[in-house]
Amino acid sequence: MSLPGLNLATTPSQTQVTAAPTSAHKQELAANTEYRFEASFTHPLTIKLLSGTAEIFGSELGPLTPYTFRGTKAAVYTWNGCSLEIEGTAESEYVAEETTMMNYANAHFALEGMRDEAAKNNDSGPRVLIVGPENSGKTSLAKVLTSYALKMDRQPMVVNLDPREGMLSPPGSFSAAALSSILDVEKGWGSSPISGPSPVPVKMPIVYHYGMSSPEEGKLFKPLVTRMALAVTSRLEKDVASRHAGFIIDTSGAISHGKGGIYENIDHIIAEFSVNLVFVLGSERLNSDLTRKYANRKEEPVVVIKLDKSGGCVDRDEAYMKKLRQSQIKSYFFGDGGENVLYPTLTFADFTDLNIFQIQQASNDTSAFRPGDDDDEDVYGSRPIYEKMTPTTLLQNTLLAVTTASPNDRQDVIRDSSIKGYIFIAEVDEAKQKLRVLSPQPGRMPSNAMVMGSFPEDVPGLLE
Amino acid sequence: MSITSAEVAADFKDALQDLKTNSRPEISNLTIIAKENTEHAQAISGELEKHIRTTRPDWKLPALYVLDSIVKNVGTPYTVYLGRNLYRTFMDAYMVMDPANRRAMDGLLKTWKQPVPDSMDTRPVFAPEVTRDIENTLIKIRTHTVQAQQTLPQRPHGLPPRPTANPMANGPWRNTPTPPQGHPRFAVPNDPRLRQNVAQPNPYGSPAPHQFTTPTPQPFPMGPPLGELESVQADVAQLIASLAPSDMKRQSLLDLQTLLNNQSLPNVPPLTSQQLQAIRAQIQALTPSPAPAMPQYAPPVPNLPQPFLQTPPQNAPPSFPPAGAALNLAQILAAAQARPVVPQSSTPVNAPPAVNLADILRQVSVPAQSSTTTAAMPFFPPPSFPPVPPPVVQPTPPPAPTPTNNLAQLLASLPKPASAQAPQPPSLPLGLPTGGPATATPDWLLNALKGLPQSASGAAFPPQVPASSTPMARQASGATNTTERVEMTSASLKQPRFHLINKLYGARPNVCATCGRRFASTPEGKERKARHLDWHFDVRDSTANRSGVHRSWYIDEREWIDYKDFDESSPPDAAQSTESAAAPKEDPKEKYVRVPSDISKRVPCPICQEKFDTNVRWHQAANDFVWMDAVEIKGRIYHATCWEEFQKGASIPAPTTPDSVLGKRKAERDSPASGKKIRAF
Repeated sequence: MSLPGLNLATTPSQTQVTAAPTSAHKQELAANTEYRFEASFTHPLTIKLLSGTAEIFGSELGPLTPYTFRGTKAAVYTWNGCSLEIEGTAESEYVAEETTMMNYANAHFALEGMRDEAAKNNDSGPRVLIVGPENSGKTSLAKVLTSYALKMDRQPMVVNLDPREGMLSPPGSFSAAALSSILDVEKGWGSSPISGPSPVPVKMPIVYHYGMSSPEEGKLFKPLVTRMALAVTSRLEKDVASRHAGFIIDTSGAISHGKGGIYENIDHIIAEFSVNLVFVLGSERLNSDLTRKYANRKEEPVVVIKLDKSGGCVDRDEAYMKKLRQSQIKSYFFGDGGENVLYPTLTFADFTDLNIFQIQQASNDTSAFRPGDDDDEDVYGSRPIYEKMTPTTLLQNTLLAVTTASPNDRQDVIRDSSIKGYIFIAEVDEAKQKLRVLSPQPGRMPSNAMVMGSFPEDVPGLLE
Repeated sequence: MSITSAEVAADFKDALQDLKTNSRPEISNLTIIAKENTEHAQAISGELEKHIRTTRPDWKLPALYVLDSIVKNVGTPYTVYLGRNLYRTFMDAYMVMDPANRRAMDGLLKTWKQPVPDSMDTRPVFAPEVTRDIENTLIKIRTHTVQAQQTLPQRPHGLPPRPTANPMANGPWRNTPTPPQGHPRFAVPNDPRLRQNVAQPNPYGSPAPHQFTTPTPQPFPMGPPLGELESVQADVAQLIASLAPSDMKRQSLLDLQTLLNNQSLPNVPPLTSQQLQAIRAQIQALTPSPAPAMPQYAPPVPNLPQPFLQTPPQNAPPSFPPAGAALNLAQILAAAQARPVVPQSSTPVNAPPAVNLADILRQVSVPAQSSTTTAAMPFFPPPSFPPVPPPVVQPTPPPAPTPTNNLAQLLASLPKPASAQAPQPPSLPLGLPTGGPATATPDWLLNALKGLPQSASGAAFPPQVPASSTPMARQASGATNTTERVEMTSASLKQPRFHLINKLYGARPNVCATCGRRFASTPEGKERKARHLDWHFDVRDSTANRSGVHRSWYIDEREWIDYKDFDESSPPDAAQSTESAAAPKEDPKEKYVRVPSDISKRVPCPICQEKFDTNVRWHQAANDFVWMDAVEIKGRIYHATCWEEFQKGASIPAPTTPDSVLGKRKAERDSPASGKKIRAF
């Protein structure tokens, strides 16, 4: 039939090529409807826009460009109707006619009005906080609002205070970035800088390590929010474009539950960031509680607006969240596969090379932190935040945050310092006092203080 | 089973009668009755519906709880039977509830949309179709409330000068004689506000006959202030409800209802106030006389635009005869309906002599009997209903001359005696919808009406009263709401504004074929797109050479604060200037060295030991990959900044502490868009 040896390599790829289109199907969407899908981590789903316009959380799909989704639960929305080509098998897919996009788009245009006003008076734009319970679509709303702002040539700042899901950084961290180009359709926000070119413009975040899963535990949340607010506010002082565009804060669902109608952490965020607009998703009660507290406040009133929760919000169980975290961590080190492969460096380090601080689990700690009092000796003095640790096998498969602080700095300085990135402890050899460390960047292991938290959890399969 | 459905139903009814509070044992008892008699579900459901419909408003809620308990604890077949009329059962009750109870009902409805708690069944209590209709109507009600509140203070249309408003009236609706039929206001007979209202002497001493003290909208935060349109709609709806389905009049009334409902749609020229009043007059003339000992009153059809009523947009009604001439319902209908209506000769609409506005006006000045004040609230529970205590004001329906006439003819044309079904005393038409003209004699109004333009174009607002023009004011405000400024309120954010979407799409037609980014079609937009495409090209060109690409460290706080994000499509300022190396004040950051092709030379900077890989970038002028921030000194490559520091004799700072980093990269403050070294692409 064919020349021996020549088609050895091509045959399999050909079968792949022919196999793939069989599962491709066309999906017509009427105007103002959305195609909701869940793609698994193992079986990617590829979506291509054939005609019309379509967007995923506000980010427009390029015409005829294939977008591949893994472990994604999202929706392709169309304002004008479109035709999609969908390849691969989705875990679940359907077309929804009732969506909340008009609601969100109106919110965007209302924000635009405030931004215009701000630009006219050289004032600061809307400072938005998004709250609501888990899986109510907070991050999606943040993306929609950001994308639309970008479409209008704004440069909004986005702040993520949800450790469960990282923004431009692995989970367990808080980050902020001013966005100026387009978001990444496939990965949601995009990517932090890499040493080479990136097909989607990279975003420049500032990242703080939180190291726990919920803002409600421990006592690190408030000081970090304070610190983050300080950085963002200082940045906006100088960055005129972002100042006019304002910022959008995405939060963790945990802070929206409150204790007896008191939302300590929300109050703290509102105070520190001078939030003037709160969008509440999916909780009537939270809306009413916050409205009561803020809407009629005499000085610095905060507008509290309830937005519709999308019917497309699905519960993401712990198993999915864990996989999502692992894939976020993996892409931090290795990129997203395909063309965007990254090459981290696996090196050996001595125990003494690393200065590791473990976050003290301050359970039942009722001593209230006084925000803004960063130098409060009481906080630092009465109870250490960290404990310096020597590596043990416990470290294996954990992430360490590399701070910008020196190991000799005071603990609150370490706490408040932003981070350079994360390293991954692949192996601990207690006998030889050696560690195998995966570092995103080649070169000497930084001697900075490194922080180990309880979150994200171990990532055993990272190097496989 | 020996007992009949009727017996069971009677038992159930008896038990229901006793339910006056939200009492758990009673409700569960009723639920048990329902559960044990599922074979009589239809009768029980009917009884329950009837009870909810007829009991006094403050006892409706417990009855609704019974309904709720039954559908949740028993389920089918009750969900089927009760689901059929749920819309009416719910909405009728809703309309007469006070705000607190309405909230409770909202809560009920919410739970009906969800599966029964702790149940295996994942389906909602009632089918979504059933609850959706109710919900849509509720949303409409709320929107109306909000809009009405918004339109209240501002009176956008320029009204011709009119008699000054009654100074004693607090608001435009005070003393408005227009009876918003079907207003829940008088549902509670013991309502203290009612008494107050009744006691209020008419300041002008010449109250119109058969007019009812009109509830002012203010006390009803939840209820939409019923405008004229609504009240006419309510009248029509009620009349329809009172007629047998086979009745010929019903058809024309339905047509009229459609026409009225369409008023809320865009693109339909609004009826003027006179037209509305003319319609009202006719309707009211048609309304049968009250039956003194009526066992039940016909439940009102909610007076809201039916959400799903789809009719083709009506043509603008042709010009109407000038005020004073007989405006009759048939005319309006005939003019507005594209298709022929029921032949006029057979429509009862024509049966009574055309009630004309002038006639009505003449009657307005007749002094009223004091007893008529509140008599005729159409939704008022019939006084004969056992649990209802005697209303404060005894309804004494005094037939007015004209209506009596009309009524007589109407009755003659009606096959059945009206008293069998007639729900209400004759609510007399009232041409004067306002506090302002309270001093008014018919002459004033007639004169005013004469001044009206003859055509019924929507632009001509009748010089009457704000209250009467509410529907139009609302429409006007609807139009202004669609302008650019989107108000930051929950209600405003719910309104569809598809034209604004154009700003996101159509206004930027120039799409990047690679990533979907949009640019304006202006010269500036074209320039930006060109730069954007260049960027794509650069990236694609260099992705071939990706070996050793890795994640960069995040920048630290101070650097980030000073950082300016730049957009690949924005105009290059100082950044890309290739002359910078030769510039008099050279920036070490801008110095570069071509990436050595000799691998052995790709070593870290001897000073800081950091590799140059972090800093690879495509350099346009050099047309090659370069290491930025690098200098080659005597065959070795250093970081330009490191070298500079070294030359200065400064100690080499540890690269990791914030301070030193800041010092090292201070230069960047001045060239904000130059991009971080890592931000090259």
